[in-house]
Amino acid sequence: HALQQLSDATFIDENVLTDYLNEISRALMSGDVQFKMISTMQSNIKKVVNFDELSAGHNKRKIIQQAVFNELCNILNPGKLAFVPKKGKSNVIMFFGLQGSGKTTTCTKYAYHYQKKGWKPALLKQNATKAKIPFYGSYTGTDPVKTAQEGVERFKENCDLIVVDTSGRHEQEASLFEEMRQLVEVTAFNQNVAVGAVIVTKMDGHAKGGVLWARNTGEHTDEFEVFETKPFVSRLFGMGDWSGFMDK
Amino acid sequence: LTSLVQSVAGKPALEYADLEPALKIFKERLMTKNVAADIAEKLCDSVAASLVGKKQGSFTRITTTVQAAMEESLVRILTPKRSVDILRDVHQAKEVGRPYTIVFVGVNGVGKSTNLAKVAYWLQQHDIKVMMAACDTFRSGAVEQLRTHARRLQIPIFERGYEKDPAVVARDAIYEAKRTKQDVVLVDTAGRMQDNEPLMRALSKLINMNDPDLVLFVGEALVGNDGVHQLTQFNQKLADLSSTSSQTQSIDGILLTKFDTIDDKVGAALSMVYTSGAPVMFVGCGQNYTDLKKLNIKSVMKSLLT
Ligand SMILES: Nc1nc2c(ncn2[C@@H]2O[C@H](COP(=O)(O)OP(=O)(O)OP(=O)(O)O)[C@@H](O)[C@H]2O)c(=O)[nH]1
Ligand SMILES: Nc1nc2c(ncn2[C@@H]2O[C@H](COP(=O)(O)OP(=O)(O)OP(=O)(O)O)[C@@H](O)[C@H]2O)c(=O)[nH]1
Ligand SMILES: [Mg+2]
Ligand SMILES: [Mg+2]
Repeated sequence: HALQQLSDATFIDENVLTDYLNEISRALMSGDVQFKMISTMQSNIKKVVNFDELSAGHNKRKIIQQAVFNELCNILNPGKLAFVPKKGKSNVIMFFGLQGSGKTTTCTKYAYHYQKKGWKPALLKQNATKAKIPFYGSYTGTDPVKTAQEGVERFKENCDLIVVDTSGRHEQEASLFEEMRQLVEVTAFNQNVAVGAVIVTKMDGHAKGGVLWARNTGEHTDEFEVFETKPFVSRLFGMGDWSGFMDK
Repeated sequence: LTSLVQSVAGKPALEYADLEPALKIFKERLMTKNVAADIAEKLCDSVAASLVGKKQGSFTRITTTVQAAMEESLVRILTPKRSVDILRDVHQAKEVGRPYTIVFVGVNGVGKSTNLAKVAYWLQQHDIKVMMAACDTFRSGAVEQLRTHARRLQIPIFERGYEKDPAVVARDAIYEAKRTKQDVVLVDTAGRMQDNEPLMRALSKLINMNDPDLVLFVGEALVGNDGVHQLTQFNQKLADLSSTSSQTQSIDGILLTKFDTIDDKVGAALSMVYTSGAPVMFVGCGQNYTDLKKLNIKSVMKSLLT
């Protein structure tokens, strides 16, 4: 609605801009984007679109749209490139995330994505049955750190992409974070590795923001797309005419 | 808050403008606790409506007045209107010689199967004979997952592999449970996104064909606005696709999972109850069979307001 107003308004002033930004904020808020992030975005845009400095000759509409577009892209852009595996080396990619977020499914998709491009992937899976409730306090599975280490040792000769699935964990679980550290240590050949990329799953349900590398668009193995910020932002707002702002 | 503490002693009645700054703060606080945006807004509007025109005690601060009204309103929303006593209903069904059936529904990966197993364990503790029905015939590994739980809990499981119509599997499971004199059948279903038409249709068929005693919506405590969307869509689609036109309510209760992962961001509980009117019947709070609790309304209310 406000988007419409922005293009209809003959005179664009501070009020039109505020309405427009409020409308966008509302949309982002209902898309579960963090409140703090939204207010930062708002004030950044207001800084760029300075009505005192804009002379009558400027196309204010275009400047506002450009500012909003850039700011949305900035939110989604971490400022560094996402991890890309290197051919001819043995790349180890480990998947971490919350319980049920889609790690196991996505590992397969990821491996399949590269297999189609001629890579030789190997999958190291844990919790094959997924019923991982410990019964009377005893974990039935083997030590995940040891399993991962052995797996990587075994596959690193013949495979160039070793995809390691892990069990779900969340921030309140200190023990699982220690396990995560150990997993990284034993499999990553002592390189210091941080989170290299984020994958957003279940995008077939809803559009949500985030800092991401690739997105999952469904439950089937081939439903996997590499994420690109600019087309995503355009689609987020359901607008075809953003293309003019994009790098070719 | 310090700017809002001036007392309005002497004013005849509260006006909206008096309340607005305090309401704005409460609204933001609710949203940081993961209450869906429009629900936080509606809640504040109703609190405002209940206070405008009221006399203010001479030394009462506006925030105190708003806080009290807010507390009252939260407790009212969270207290179930339709109460379901599963144990009582199970025994009633048993008396007429049929098994009580619970169907677990929800989007992918929220914890349906795990919490189904927890509910099975809980029922077992009450000397109730439980059977599991493996009606997720869609996702690979789903049947094996349920079988593992059944084996550990030493509970019978009814399974017919994959690629079968889950509605028919459920029907046969209920029949088998009746034959073998089980008290309860717990029906596991495949996860599905709320906008997935064919899968929603299949679920509706399962529910229509088998007329379960309880349809439990399993949702993550982690979600904000999306949780509300999931729940309304499930409710709506199941009602739309229902064969009996009289049926307007399709979700009977909510099972909120992963409560252990959210710290104090308990807003999903409020959003979901507010949207559906269905009670939160269980809260899943971990990955052990014993991690199943009842919702503590007072503590949820406290977390939301502090
Ligand atoms: N609709 C949809 N479902 C997905 C997607 N990715 C995963 N899923 C489903 O989400 C559910 C959980 O996926 P898993 O891969 O088992 O998740 P996980 O993170 O490995 O789970 P844990 O190992 O239990 O922590 C399954 O039903 C998947 O089919 C997706 O992109 N879209
Ligand atoms: N921390 C925590 N994890 C949970 C809880 N309930 C379930 N989980 C985990 O969430 C993940 C997914 O659980 P499932 O029971 O497989 O979920 P589902 O809804 O049946 O998944 P699909 O059948 O694939 O749609 C597993 O890793 C569970 O252990 C809970 O209350 N707390
Ligand atoms: Mg997994
Ligand atoms: Mg399941």
